[in-house]
Amino acid sequence: MSSSSPFIPSLEHLTRQRGVLGSLVVSETDGIVIDAVVQPSVKAPVVAALAASLYRRARQSAHAAGLGGVKYLELVADGGRLCMAGRDDLVVVLVTDTRVGVGLLRVELLRTAAELPE
Amino acid sequence: MSLAVVERWVEAPLRRFVEDAQAVLALLLTPSGQVLAQHGFTRAVDVMSACALAAAIHASSTELGRQLQGRPFAGLHHAGRRRQLFLARADTPRGPYVFLTVFDQASSLGLVQLYYDEFTARLGDAAPPKSNDTTEVLAENFESELDRNLKLLFSR
Repeated sequence: MSSSSPFIPSLEHLTRQRGVLGSLVVSETDGIVIDAVVQPSVKAPVVAALAASLYRRARQSAHAAGLGGVKYLELVADGGRLCMAGRDDLVVVLVTDTRVGVGLLRVELLRTAAELPE
Repeated sequence: MSLAVVERWVEAPLRRFVEDAQAVLALLLTPSGQVLAQHGFTRAVDVMSACALAAAIHASSTELGRQLQGRPFAGLHHAGRRRQLFLARADTPRGPYVFLTVFDQASSLGLVQLYYDEFTARLGDAAPPKSNDTTEVLAENFESELDRNLKLLFSR
């Protein structure tokens, strides 16, 4: 990934948090990686495609239920979590293990998503 | 699901791809334009046109890739307003094939690429080895072979 990307400082900051295995900025529509800082164990293109699809479905579900937009989405699995927050077509995705401190990470994730360019 | 195949070994991998990627259309053909399987088409003439166009685009983009970077492009993506197209080569022990799929907002380029990779792996596993008596489709029997395959696809 290019070090000149405007997303890299934010992604590096998120990935330095305890328990975070990787962070990605993903296009919700295309399901492809815009930028990512991930450990080698994280398959960024696969996570991007599936997480974007999940986020899109969640957004559509919330809209259909009359709840408005999605602010934050978290999937808890046996080995960790997927945390997502978006703005317009961009979604910030975090891949974590089980050691993560969810509260602080959620604040950081929402702040990063709010700072995404429109 | 309106899926039809000329050769049985193609069916399971293609069906899985269509289900996973939620593709609207899918087409597997030889680089010369002979159809092997299709999903979503309702008329033989549309399959024939799509095969001819896909083979031509594949040949052009392959050569363009060779000219620009010394090797063929891995795939081609065209985004329309409502539908998108993905065209790529699928290598198997039986030889190379061309895969064309069309998808809409129910899917995404990332999902299509992800499941395309899985599709090519499954296709490679399912492909029977190329036998010595396999006849190459020559220009002189191209049309009759194409007619035969189209009849197989749309006669069921």
